[in-house]
Amino acid sequence: MDNILDKVIDIVAEELAVDRDEVTEDSSFIEDLGADSLDVVELVMAFEEEFDVEIPDEDAENIRTVEDAVSYLEDIL
Amino acid sequence: MALKTELCDLLEIEKPIIQGGMAWVATGELAAAVSNAGGLGVIGAGSAPADVIEKEIDKVRKLTDKPFGLNIMLLSPFAEDIIDLAIAKEVPVITTGAGNPGKYVKRFQEIGSKVIPVVPSVALAKRMARLDVDAVIAEGTEAGGHVGELTTMALVPQVVDAVDIPVIAAGGVGDGRGLAAILALGASGVQIGTRFVCSEECTASLNFKKAIVGARDRDAVVTGRSTGHPVRNLKNKLTKEMDKLESQGVDPKKIEEIGSGKLRDAVIDGNVKEGSVMAGQISGMISEIKSVKEIIEEILLKAEETIKSNYNLLN
Repeated sequence: MDNILDKVIDIVAEELAVDRDEVTEDSSFIEDLGADSLDVVELVMAFEEEFDVEIPDEDAENIRTVEDAVSYLEDIL
Repeated sequence: MALKTELCDLLEIEKPIIQGGMAWVATGELAAAVSNAGGLGVIGAGSAPADVIEKEIDKVRKLTDKPFGLNIMLLSPFAEDIIDLAIAKEVPVITTGAGNPGKYVKRFQEIGSKVIPVVPSVALAKRMARLDVDAVIAEGTEAGGHVGELTTMALVPQVVDAVDIPVIAAGGVGDGRGLAAILALGASGVQIGTRFVCSEECTASLNFKKAIVGARDRDAVVTGRSTGHPVRNLKNKLTKEMDKLESQGVDPKKIEEIGSGKLRDAVIDGNVKEGSVMAGQISGMISEIKSVKEIIEEILLKAEETIKSNYNLLN
């Protein structure tokens, strides 16, 4: 499962243009990493592509932190 | 040789023009006038409660038997009620703004309403297309009211390339040259807001219309960037005050509070000095208040002329 966390952190760092060591499990995309709502849409699309899944909007709106993303992906993978 | 696009077939309208669902401004009267003139009139729900909007829907149905739409502003505290109302009333076309309508789309599709979300980015356009929405409105920052960052010129062709449903362009179109231009970018229709504000049928205060008629090219400025919900409105006491507070680093929540209710002040009460005169960058192009029918006919005529003269460049 560490693998998912690593990949999520990579994607978040890349998509939000922040340093990898700024991103922790607790990081909130909007509050801590400076994303806006459209950045979060792009982030969710990047998770979908990397993990080859489809994340419906009902679920996507609950993914606000790195940890949210990791536990969601662990559940569905 | 009349100008027609796939959007006309999709929405069962004669002319590829839909009217922006502007809060407070887009009442039943304006929407019905646009539908009667061959476009798609749209009621703007803004932040109004459901009982107010129900009356507007009834008004449109009384004034026209043509298709019309309802714009749902997803940031509204009444958004859920408005969605229930739209479904109960079987509004033929739903447009949405200020957010991601993904989780509601299915409910509209189940009753046969057409769904057309406003999208300010390629990623959101792609997600919407995946839900089988009927079209998307790609709105550039030239528009009035809540705006994104990208220009219409840059956003429209990128959205057109990303999705295989009709794309409606919005923001920066105030006449037939603009319509011809967005067709050239691959859009199949246009959403126009500000030009319709300055119509005889629009119920906004005369002060509001005159402020737009009197505006010059650089007057439609963006305020409230720090709040995450930036708004384009005409420069006045309010926009200067907001700029000042933003440059002082005042808490965005406080800035949001100051903006609240200000659109109503301008549209209904005609307080265009201290209210928010939401209008697009094409305000400087508007010099006259005319009937909706004249506005639409003029846009179509000029668009056809423009397309023909551009064609004649080829020789």
